[in-house]
Amino acid sequence: MNLSPHYAILCFFLLSHLLFFGQQTGATYTKRVLESSEIDFLFSYYEQDGNNAAVTGGEGTEELTDATSTIVLRVPINENDVLTVDVGLSAYTSASSSNVNPLDGSNPNVNPFDASSGQSRQDLLAYINPSYQHSSPDRNTIWSINAYFSDEYDYTSIGFGGSYTRLFNEKNTEVSISTRVFLDRWDAIYPIELRPGFFDDRIVGNGSYDPSLNLFDNEDRNSYSLSLNFSQILGKRLQGALFADVVSQNGLLSTPFQRVYFGDVEDFFIDDFQLGDDVERLPDTRIKLPIGGRLNYFLNDIVVLRSYYRFYWDDWGIVSHTASLEAPVKLSDKFTIYPNYRFYTQTAADYFFEKEAALSTFEFYTSDYDLSNYEAHQYGMGIQYKDIFANAKVLSFGLKSIDLRFNQYDRSDGLNAFILTLGTTFVGN
Amino acid sequence: MRNLILLFTTLLLTSSCVAVREYDMIYLNDAEMQLGAKGTERFETNFQIYREASAGANGGKTGGGCGCN
Repeated sequence: MNLSPHYAILCFFLLSHLLFFGQQTGATYTKRVLESSEIDFLFSYYEQDGNNAAVTGGEGTEELTDATSTIVLRVPINENDVLTVDVGLSAYTSASSSNVNPLDGSNPNVNPFDASSGQSRQDLLAYINPSYQHSSPDRNTIWSINAYFSDEYDYTSIGFGGSYTRLFNEKNTEVSISTRVFLDRWDAIYPIELRPGFFDDRIVGNGSYDPSLNLFDNEDRNSYSLSLNFSQILGKRLQGALFADVVSQNGLLSTPFQRVYFGDVEDFFIDDFQLGDDVERLPDTRIKLPIGGRLNYFLNDIVVLRSYYRFYWDDWGIVSHTASLEAPVKLSDKFTIYPNYRFYTQTAADYFFEKEAALSTFEFYTSDYDLSNYEAHQYGMGIQYKDIFANAKVLSFGLKSIDLRFNQYDRSDGLNAFILTLGTTFVGN
Repeated sequence: MRNLILLFTTLLLTSSCVAVREYDMIYLNDAEMQLGAKGTERFETNFQIYREASAGANGGKTGGGCGCN
């Protein structure tokens, strides 16, 4: 069959038109979850002091400094997947930890308000936390898995977990469920005078010092958590989220080197340092139920209001409330300041006793003031420099942002602390 | 626990009452409006976990991973 040239040309154009539209219909652009690699360098310096050290039974110096460096690397594997690796190193010196063994330093007069200059004064913690995230092409489903490992002198932690997130209602609503497991282990270190075989001829007191410590036979600590998160857009300028966790812990939940002094036992001393009667004994199970919420409101082009509230309950008798407010203020398109305030209050654990208030006949006891009744106020300021075009370059990486934050933390039991944080984000080309 | 499940279910069922279109999300997409904590806030969350008896419901650790409460 012979086609006329006009008819052939018409068929050619019709066919190529169909092919062209067919290609266009099939060729859709999907924005990558992460356009290019990003790397965060984070650094913090923390310092605290107080007079209720748990290592010395609720009375003693709580002086401590901590310097932490962290690197977070986010790499796009493809348009849907991101690999994140988070590694960190924390070096701390602690006057109270040094008093686990106050006799190994060169102090001429041993007392709980001075730090020992011995080995137990400082420690190093290292951790790594890789995670992998996958997003569906329509970006309405996200799942992730993660792992965790950390090690310090007397504590090792191995963890893993995963999450599943679903967005719907035109991405106005987001629901996620996540779970995490930590399989930790103490390498129990006891106060020097409570260790088997301890002897020192400087001990003074009425009678004979014979504490007879029962060592912890199970040094494992396991933690299991299930988290539910719900976030909802509430208007063009308002969005909020609810977070609820269920946490179950079992194993050695006490801290093996924290002393307790009994009111019905004679006191013994070396110099001005009172020797412990036992270490803290806490139940080997704990259930925690925190539930919190965030509400963010875009007030205007200069100010955003970010609020947070949490209610917490656990079966050790602790109930707490946390409330915070941060108000980012945009000074320019590159600089933003972050004034913030946080209030915290908690009730004491059922097993908390001040020094000498617990009796030797009790089953559970602690003099750790972190488990006591108190209020805390935290206030501070941050400043951020941000350049979305990352024009400033370091090697081949563009500087995206620099954050500097300072916060003061004051507790009603006398503990005071401050923390200084510096963070930088770089993006790859 | 039952009340928590009821709350989440109620929120889920009423969530479709409000739907802001993606082209109207200019304020919601602002970096300061994000519901998660910033990277530099993690250190504050960490020391709070050590110094306070409560943890969780904020994206940080809920328990485990450290010799803390």
